[in-house]
Formats: sequence, structure tokens, C-alpha cells
Amino acid sequence: MDYTKLKNRPSWPFETIGVAIAFSPRLESILCEARILSERFNANLVLMHIGDRTRNKEHKLSELLAKAGIKESAVRVIWSEGEPVQTLLHLCKLNIVDLLVMGAMKKENVLQYYLGTVARKISRKAKCSVLLLTEPNKEGSRFRKMVVNIAESPKTSHTLNTAIYFARHNKSREIVAASEMHQPGLAMTMAEDSTAGEASRIRKEIKEGAHSMVNELLEGCKEECNIEIVEKQITGKPGYAIRAFAAQKKADLLVINSPDVKYGIIDRIFTHGMEYILEDLPCNLLIVHSRVNPAE
Amino acid sequence: MSYRLGHSDLIILLLAIATMLILSRIVAELGKRLKLPVVMGELLVGIVLGPTILGTMFPEVFSFLFPLQSNEKVAYALDGIFSLSVIMLLFVAGMEVELPLVLRQGKAAISTGFGSMIIPFFTGFAVAWFAPEIFGIVDTGNNKWIFSLFLGTALSISALPVIARILMDMNIFKTRIGMIIIAAAMFNDLVGWLIFSVILSLSGNGGDTSSVGYTIGYVIAFGAFMLFIGRILINRALPWIQTKLSWPGGVLAMSLGLCLLCAAFTESIGIHAILGAFIAGIAIGDSVHLREQAREIIHQFVTNFFAPLFFVSIGLKVNFIENFDVSIVLIVLVLAYIGKVAGAGLGGIAGGLKRNDALAVGFGLNARGAMEIILGTLAYNAGIIGKPVFVALVVMALVTSLTSAPLMRIFMKDSPELKQ
Repeated sequence: MDYTKLKNRPSWPFETIGVAIAFSPRLESILCEARILSERFNANLVLMHIGDRTRNKEHKLSELLAKAGIKESAVRVIWSEGEPVQTLLHLCKLNIVDLLVMGAMKKENVLQYYLGTVARKISRKAKCSVLLLTEPNKEGSRFRKMVVNIAESPKTSHTLNTAIYFARHNKSREIVAASEMHQPGLAMTMAEDSTAGEASRIRKEIKEGAHSMVNELLEGCKEECNIEIVEKQITGKPGYAIRAFAAQKKADLLVINSPDVKYGIIDRIFTHGMEYILEDLPCNLLIVHSRVNPAE
Repeated sequence: MSYRLGHSDLIILLLAIATMLILSRIVAELGKRLKLPVVMGELLVGIVLGPTILGTMFPEVFSFLFPLQSNEKVAYALDGIFSLSVIMLLFVAGMEVELPLVLRQGKAAISTGFGSMIIPFFTGFAVAWFAPEIFGIVDTGNNKWIFSLFLGTALSISALPVIARILMDMNIFKTRIGMIIIAAAMFNDLVGWLIFSVILSLSGNGGDTSSVGYTIGYVIAFGAFMLFIGRILINRALPWIQTKLSWPGGVLAMSLGLCLLCAAFTESIGIHAILGAFIAGIAIGDSVHLREQAREIIHQFVTNFFAPLFFVSIGLKVNFIENFDVSIVLIVLVLAYIGKVAGAGLGGIAGGLKRNDALAVGFGLNARGAMEIILGTLAYNAGIIGKPVFVALVVMALVTSLTSAPLMRIFMKDSPELKQ
């Protein structure tokens, strides 16, 4: 298989939108969402179902496509069998999907969370951007208020550009560029030998560092932006702090980088980073896969 | 016999504590101007107030102020305070261990963590096993076995507070190298203290190695319980404690109370109290609900009250000049540098770091600081090591802490991560 087209492919624009179909009660809403997004981004739609191809399913899908206002001739439907996660990931690569749209429960029960459902597993492993919709609806979700997680990573400039691109096409009103400030060992270090002045200087330097990082990223943005971007610094453990902030801000969409390391069950036991968000989605979630190697 | 402190005993106890606190703070502040770590000032005060200087020059003043040999009640009271101090120090050390950070940093941090643990451990173990006489250890089987395990552990531990300070001063805390060093140091501390608890427990059993399986089982069971179930319970309770109870009194009392409960539990099952405190610290410190302010208050309380008392007390117990054995000090220093730098360096290279970056990581992790001194003190109190080895460990802790930053700078001079 030739993956060279994927290498260094930018995370935006979204030329091909993939939809994972599971014939759940929410399928009609997800198809409606996918149709609306494909219109907004002027993207092709690829529908993928992993499982048996039966007449019943074909019939049901035709019905739902019609209800969602999608012409069957305008979409590609792929039926495939195999292990759902690996097969979906493979199909996304094969079809050069830029954005995979999936429905996801806001919170899963403990067993589901630790064992991992398809949506969560895909979120951890996908080599394309993933949009998890917590409450898909037939009128299409609104993404008025977006929170973008500004992490210290080469991926973040791609994420920010993608978020601005997403916001522009979805008529968003506000983007909050939120950076998480967390320095392990800081409390211990400052308790030992810092005067009040030194402690406040250190804190100020950390804040200024975060501020200049956001500024540099915003100045380097390639995407045109006519939306208000508010900068915000939040304290707390990475992943948890941004989740809590997005929930408190009542954001419609949280945008984050794709993970730098492969997440496994141990990362769910000792929760960190993106796992805090997947554990309890505060709103819809866009995971931007920038196809950049963080080590480079 | 009355179990209450008498009028004069209480006065002596209060005078001793006040002297230790005030002098250590003054000397630490003076040392800060020379960029010396606080712990160095505290140790120096202990050496001045202890048998090394005050005890030699003014023995009457020394035995009046610190009657460790002559007044049983004051000695017990001070010993209780020193024991509480070390428990609290391990509690706050645990609070700063973030297991997820090690996972988040990926392959480089994990291989550096392993390398900086395994190679120093086996270097120390091998030298102690094959040449115990260098350290004055009588080869009686279990003695040698416990001492070898101890030396390996002592050489593999790192000091997170010192390392964090060095990285902050060098402005490389949040760089890739900085985060790898921090993650690896946390890994070293976690594994090191777990192993050390087993060693202390073995030593407490008179070196009876037949119970080692049970001890390891207890350590694992307790750690697993606290880090899985305990963490979940703490995560449930903390938001309630921080909002419904007095602030910050509620969280302070509950956190320290839990630390002491865990310490009492591990002590009662034959593992040292420090393990309970350390694991309780990890479980509480890991909670996303623990407010930063609460964390700072706990640190301030422990670091500025218990830490000086503990580090000053070290000098009160040992004559540093009498027990300074140049050959042991040099051997411990050489082993410390070679083991840590080679281990962390090779681990870093295996994890994908460039040679110079890997060496910088090695020298960064080489800072042993206060953690080594605590470890050495506990081993000395448990009779695992003698005074000369204890003094050598203290010297090694100070020398590695002082040389860490300059040596890191040498290997990072061409690194884009070093901004200054």
C-alpha cells in the first residue's frame, strides 16, 4: 500500500471526511452531521462500515442516507470485515481521510473505559484528525465557542491552524487558546529556598513563557482569522485542566493535539494527558493529527 | 518513673529545637548567596552544633543543649521529632512523584529511568559484594547481602528537588531534556524507595532472607492498594474536603493524617514507616483535585520545619572529622559518578538521545541531594552501614549536587535547549 501521499500531508483543509458507521440509534444524526460538515468544508464523504454486508443493512443505510439528505451517488460506501479498530484505521489511510467523524458517549462506564470502545481506541491511534461528537443532531452541531489546547509541541501550530480553519467554516464566534501551566516539582523547589520575591518572579516567568508561546503561535498562523482569539492560561495537570476549563467555559468544541506516545491500558490506570479528556468528554472533541513527528 | 517531660527537660527540648531552626535558616540563607543548596547549610549547622565541633570544643554546652546520651527523656522526645521529620520528608517527596509524567515522556524517559537505576545499582552491588572489606563490612553472609543491596540502591537514587532547582536555574525545565531528567528522577525515586523499604525490613528481621518474599509481597500489595483503590478514594474525598471543611486546615489535617496512618500501617506490618508515607504522598500528590495552594502549604510546612530539624540532627549524631575516611569517600564518589552517568547516558542513547544530551541527562540525574542523605541516615540508624560509609554518602550527596549544573552546562553548550 502506498502511504507516501499521507506523509507530511497538512492537517487542513479537510478534503475527505470519513464516517464510521455502526448502525446505532444515532446513525441518522451522525450522517446529518457528516453531510453538513462535508458541505461546510466542501469535502468528499466516505462512509465505512466494519461488519457483515447484509441486504438489511444496505436497505437501512439507503433509507438513512435519504433521510440525512445525502445522495448515494455523492458518497463512497465501503463495507469491510475484520477487527473494527485496525480495519477502520487502515481504511482511513487507504482513502486518505483527513477527518474521521464519529459519535461518542460523553462518559463510558468503568469497564468500557478500561477495555476501550471503538471511538476511544480510534482517538488514540488514528493517523488522521478525529472529530468525536457527543450529541450529534440532525440540524448539525454548532461550534460557536471553541477551546484550543496550546501545548508545548511542534504539533500545536498545525492544531491551531486547523482549529482556525474549522472555526472559519463553521462560523464560530470565539476561540480560546488555552495553555496549561504545570511544572512538576515546582512547589517543592520553591518551598525550599525561594523568597516571596523569587517565588513570584518564577511564577511570572512561567506565565510570560506561556504567553509568548501563544503569541508566537498566533503570529505564525497561516490561516486567515477574523474570529476573536482569547488567550488563557490555566493551571493544573495537563489534560485534566483543559477538560475542566472546556466544561466550565461551556465550550462547543475542544481542539487538542494527537497524542505523542502510544496510549495503552496503563495510561488509563495512571491517567494522564488526553486520557483525562477521553475519560469524560466535556464537549465535542477534535483531535488534530498533524502528521508531524514530535521528535523532529 | 514519670513519663512526662520535666520542667527543665521541656526547656532544653524547646531550646534545642529553636537553636536548630534559627541557626539552620541563617546559615542556609547565607549559603544561598553563594548558590549553595539549603541542605548544605542545615548539615553544616548540625556539624557545628554536634560532636564534630561543639562537642569537641565545648562538651558541656553540647551535652546541655543536646543531651542525647545523658537525658533519656529529651533524647526520646528528639528522636520522636526526628522520626516524624523523616516520615514527613518522604511524604512530600512522594507528592512530587508523577507516574503519568514518566509514561507521557515515552521511550527516552523510560529507558533513561531504567538505565540510571540498573547500572548504578549493579555497580554498587557488585563492588560491595566482591570487596565488602573496603567499607568495613564483615562478611557474615546476610550482612554482606544487605549492605550490597543497600549500596546499589544508594547509588541509584536521585534527588528530585535539587534536580528541579538546577533545571529551573538553567532554564531548561520545560525542554525535552529537562522533562526526561525529571521523569527519570521520579522513576529512580519510586523504585529506589521501594527497594530500600525491603532492605530496611530485611535488616529489621536481623537479615533473615527467608522472609524476603513476604516483604516484597507486602510492599507490592500495599503499593497496589494505595495507588489503585486509595487513589480513587482520595479523588472522591479531596473535592469534598477542600470545599466543605475549613481551608486550608481541612486538607492539611486530612493529608498529614493519612500520611501518618499509612506510615503506622507499614511500620506495623514490618516494613518501615517511610514506605507508607511515601506511597501516601504519591496517592495524594497525584490527585488532580489537590489544589496547588494546598500542595504549597504542605511543602512549606514540611520543608521549613521538619527538614531543618532532620538535617541538623544528622550532624548531632556523627563526628564528621573522626569518621571521614578518604578512601571510602573517593570510592563512593567514583562509583556514584560512573554508575549514574553511564547508566543514564546509555539509557538516554537507547531512548534516542544524542551522545552529549544523554551525558547531560546523566550528570543532571547524578545530583543526589537530600534524598541520599535521608537514605543514608535511615541505613545508619538501622545499623546497615557504619559511620565512615554514612559520612561518605553525605559527602557524595553534596558533591554530586554541587557539580551537577556545571557539568551539565559543559555537555549542553551546543544544545539549542540551553537558552542561556
